[in-house]
Amino acid sequence: MKIHPFKTAPVILGSLLFFVSIAAVWAQPSNEEAQPANATADENADTLETTSDEKDAKKPLTAMRRFEGKVDDAFEKFNEKVGGVMFYDVVSLFSDDAGVKVPLAVLWLVVGTLFFTVYMGFINIRGFKHAVMITAGRFDNPEDAGEVTHFQALTAALSATVGLGNIAGVAIAVSIGGPGATLWMIVAGMLGMSAKFVECTLGQKYREVRPDGRVMGGAMYYLSKGLTEMGIGPIGKALAIVFAVLCVGGSFAGGNAFQVNQSLDAVQATIPGLENYRWVYGLVMTVMVGIVIIGGIRRIATTAEKIVPLMCGVYVLAALAILLMNFSEIPAAFGLILSEAFSPAAVKGGAIGVLVVGFKRAAFSNEAGVGSAAIAHAAAKTDYPVREGLVALLGPFIDTVVICTMTALVIVITGAYADPALQTLVEQDKGAALTSHAMGGEIPGFQYVLAVAVVLFAYSTMISWSYYGERCWAYLFGDGASMSYRIIFLAFVFLGSIASATNVLMFGDLMILGMAFPNILGVVLLAPKVKADLKDYWARYKAGEFPQNK
Amino acid sequence: MSWLPKKKVVVPVDFSGESEHSIAVALELVSDSSELHLVHVLFPLDSVSPGVLLGDVTDEKRAEAVRESFDKLLQGLNVTGANVEVLFGNPGLEVAEYAAKIGADLIAIPSHGYHGVARLVLGSVAERVIRHAECSVLVLRRSDAE
Repeated sequence: MKIHPFKTAPVILGSLLFFVSIAAVWAQPSNEEAQPANATADENADTLETTSDEKDAKKPLTAMRRFEGKVDDAFEKFNEKVGGVMFYDVVSLFSDDAGVKVPLAVLWLVVGTLFFTVYMGFINIRGFKHAVMITAGRFDNPEDAGEVTHFQALTAALSATVGLGNIAGVAIAVSIGGPGATLWMIVAGMLGMSAKFVECTLGQKYREVRPDGRVMGGAMYYLSKGLTEMGIGPIGKALAIVFAVLCVGGSFAGGNAFQVNQSLDAVQATIPGLENYRWVYGLVMTVMVGIVIIGGIRRIATTAEKIVPLMCGVYVLAALAILLMNFSEIPAAFGLILSEAFSPAAVKGGAIGVLVVGFKRAAFSNEAGVGSAAIAHAAAKTDYPVREGLVALLGPFIDTVVICTMTALVIVITGAYADPALQTLVEQDKGAALTSHAMGGEIPGFQYVLAVAVVLFAYSTMISWSYYGERCWAYLFGDGASMSYRIIFLAFVFLGSIASATNVLMFGDLMILGMAFPNILGVVLLAPKVKADLKDYWARYKAGEFPQNK
Repeated sequence: MSWLPKKKVVVPVDFSGESEHSIAVALELVSDSSELHLVHVLFPLDSVSPGVLLGDVTDEKRAEAVRESFDKLLQGLNVTGANVEVLFGNPGLEVAEYAAKIGADLIAIPSHGYHGVARLVLGSVAERVIRHAECSVLVLRRSDAE
């Protein structure tokens, strides 16, 4: 058999790189930094005068600790190696502001989302009303090809985006970037709506309808098919493969380990003593995810997904209640957010530093420009790709402009980000725990409600991301390879519970924000096609050509 | 294997251009199109996609859609009377098992699947069929094989 080097090289290279880097990281012996924690655990186990029974009981704990150290180390090593490239600080914008650097990934997102917003004529604003009408089902036609209604597609995409990024990530953003990060997150959310519109329109436009009626789409399809149409097939194929590899990584990281890790912190804030048995939570989550993705028990996953809009509502209402309770402080908080966005008092890197934090956490949460949501939106029943793109732009609005902003306002108004008593949580990137303290302090007992909400958010996000990852895995290795993916996915559910928050967050950033590189590059090249489609659709919509349901 | 017309020929169909080619070849081997047994194997339904969790995707509907795809394909090829079967599971194993069940005397299959990295390997489906089949297997070279 002849193997075409040009066509197959990227396939082999991409997959090789992925596995070699993972293998290299896992093969590393644990480094010195993890030793102190282990040593203390060992000492305790050895020096304590205990009966042999007690000693035996201690043993698994010590072994577990040592294993936890190793896992965390592996994450750290991987992050160091891969992070060097993707977060390479390219630009020092102001020379007088020492230390102000914009990581490549963030620059990419800012420029990309801004470009889409301007190029599509502020579709995020002018398309909003129509988007709401479509989502409400006014234009649904059950005869159109696809698997779900517009509303269901948005629910599925939201269950992937609304997760710990909104609760933990935002708290981290405000504590690192100060109150000003809130403003930049909102800006990122608004611009992200346009990016989401373009990528999800493309997801529909280049989806594949299988002989069994199933529809498959996403960034890997539009990158490869769309760019082939433009005569640069090999580049499209290469971008699609890079995207798929990173999306698989993202589904293990931000869509999985990060969710387990941060939700555990929120649960831990309500159950004392759990910190010594983090792996138990990991195990429970692994089983719960496993019975769905391997066991095929769909009812649990369906319930979790359907409950997401309700949980969003509860969360937003609780945040609003806290804001009302502190009504008199709202003007001051807004003043602080505005002034700190442009001239932060305590943030290294000034306004640019805050902007970087805001954009990073917003993109991590709403996935705009990342390309993942196009996989879910491709499933919607419609004959007009633009229509689903419009529905998709509501995602970043709900996720970031509404939910993330709520978290941020609560953190700012309660002053949790600057509370000296909570600084350890800030230093350890334990964002969900921070939010839990902030909300629990205002509404007594709410930390328990939040713990439940957080577990559900984490769970539905993991289920949805496992779909994204599995589609990309199938794109790389064929539909028959799903089982191997599912097993690795479950391993990461468990690993997420025992690694440190900082390393898991960094790992998530690397993979998820990394997806924006191939995606935004390809989407920019394909944007003229979307613009033409939009122009045509909008003219027909304005002319009243589309029948409406009552 | 004798070169006389076959009684029952199983043709796995993935609805790619190659399927049309293999159906055409198989037609030359049988005396009547009613001796053709066209098979499409579907992977079991996942439990995480929006269509399954929130929409109305079911195995029955998928099988129905495949039968419609068969109708369209056969109409296009001007073939009538061929048997059509939709199976679930691992494509290679299911095809071999089905051939044994109906007592087929030949399976005609394209050499390559075309999905993912699997395309680098001589079609894993063809390979499985060869390994598990109880009858002869005719492996057809893909016209666009590299």
